Amino acid sequence: MAPIELLIELTLMPLIAFIVGMMMVLMMRRIAARIQRRIGPPFFQPLYDIIKLHGKRTQVSHGLIHDIGIVMAMGGYIAAETLLPVPGMNGIAEKGGLITLLYLMMIPSLGLALGVGQCANPNGSIGIARALTAMLAYDIPLVIVIFGVAYAAGTTNLVEIIATQQAGGFATWGVVEMPLLAIAGLIAMHASLGKQPFEIYIAPAEIATGPMVEMSGKYLGGLFVMQCFQLYTTSVLYVSLFLGGGTTWFDFLIKSFLVLAIPVSIAYLFPRYRTEDLLRLMWKWPVMLGLIGLAFVM
Amino acid sequence: MSRLQKIPVVEEKKGNPLARVFDDLVRFCRSRSLFILHYCTGCGAIELPPAMTSRFDMERLGIQPMVSPRQADILLITGYVSIKTLKRVILTYEQMGSPKYVVGICSCTVNGGMYWQSYATAKKLDEYMPVDLYIAGCMPRPEAVISGLQKLMDRINSGEADSWQDYYRNYDYYLGNQQKLFGEDWQTPTDIITEAKHYELMGEGTLGQHTRLLEQHQKPLEALEMRLGHNIKEPVE
Repeated sequence: MAPIELLIELTLMPLIAFIVGMMMVLMMRRIAARIQRRIGPPFFQPLYDIIKLHGKRTQVSHGLIHDIGIVMAMGGYIAAETLLPVPGMNGIAEKGGLITLLYLMMIPSLGLALGVGQCANPNGSIGIARALTAMLAYDIPLVIVIFGVAYAAGTTNLVEIIATQQAGGFATWGVVEMPLLAIAGLIAMHASLGKQPFEIYIAPAEIATGPMVEMSGKYLGGLFVMQCFQLYTTSVLYVSLFLGGGTTWFDFLIKSFLVLAIPVSIAYLFPRYRTEDLLRLMWKWPVMLGLIGLAFVM
Repeated sequence: MSRLQKIPVVEEKKGNPLARVFDDLVRFCRSRSLFILHYCTGCGAIELPPAMTSRFDMERLGIQPMVSPRQADILLITGYVSIKTLKRVILTYEQMGSPKYVVGICSCTVNGGMYWQSYATAKKLDEYMPVDLYIAGCMPRPEAVISGLQKLMDRINSGEADSWQDYYRNYDYYLGNQQKLFGEDWQTPTDIITEAKHYELMGEGTLGQHTRLLEQHQKPLEALEMRLGHNIKEPVE
């Protein structure tokens, strides 16, 4: 591939991810509103929020690590987007592979931990401690699921995994071949989004949004951008692993929005677990399902 | 002559047209995305849940509740402000990121309302911090709250709602009123004068006799001592 072409792809992929991510945020807020019998925010609301937060006059920084932490939180996801193949663009997905992607998806939490650490707010520290505990909880089923899919496909190359599923049609989709792993993956994905019942580290009523408590202006804006990327990355990864990716943009977007709609619709019906309950639940059910699924695959 | 004076003079806009478009865009986004921090001191707080939930749904206007002062744009004070509460309200206000707007709901914030004769209540909120909008009533219904917030949105969009600058430009006046209530040694963790210098918001009223008094009593801020429970023995002096 020509270097210019690759450069264009590497620029376009995060950009598209950002725009689609903003629409996913909008969908999430609209679904929440509909469930609560409200109308919900207007179409451009996520964009208004991000522009407003970056346009604040006073920007309260708590130091260099605070700044770098936010950049890490966004940068981890931006790097992850270049490893996620979308219809027509593969970026560096063939060279990166699933394991690199899994590593890159952990960077945002660590960056956030660094940034929040310097704010020296007790609510923020509790929040980030809970966020890292939650990561410990959902990463084990997630790793089992990704290992299972990679083992079944015989490769960690995401492009090949998608191509195999597309070549064989619906019968070879991951969700048909490995239903147990797909269910475990869905639960792990729900937990990694940090939505209710697994919303232990935001918890507005208890620890005042945890990691976000000291963030103002562009720092909060950066976290809003991060949320767009987070929704996009999680749902597109699931679509690539289990739903055969997308042959065209149309079915690709429909699949990823539908996948995201499942946890979001569940989220706004439930209150939240405590940290130890989350840990117990995540290490019991998804791990058990994942291990049984793994046994079937092997 | 008096008629002539009433003719509005439209000032010709100056500067880079691209920057002007950008400013307009930012102002529009500011007006369409308002994060509320509600400081529910009195009975007016009961009117906010219906304004936010399914009956009147404020989120369709882009207004949404937030939980910490750093994230918020609007400080919504719903009811009477006792002197003890006022200290917290001022601390909260100073920690918010500018541009910030204060909305006083209920008669109590306008003139003390039914607490007019109370010795422990701060009567007029705008003596202690610049207030952008009052929504009078005892209590105003959710419709009134939402229509008031829509007025605020229009004022933000047209650039009129800039009273947050007033706190920096006339800090001496507000600090004087605060000192009258809380005593001479009143001090907040936020250094307003340095902020005003940094953001080039120094006005004629920023410094004065009250800020000189503040400088005399000002103690440097220290980090809170980390202490775990009551089991640890007090240090012996």
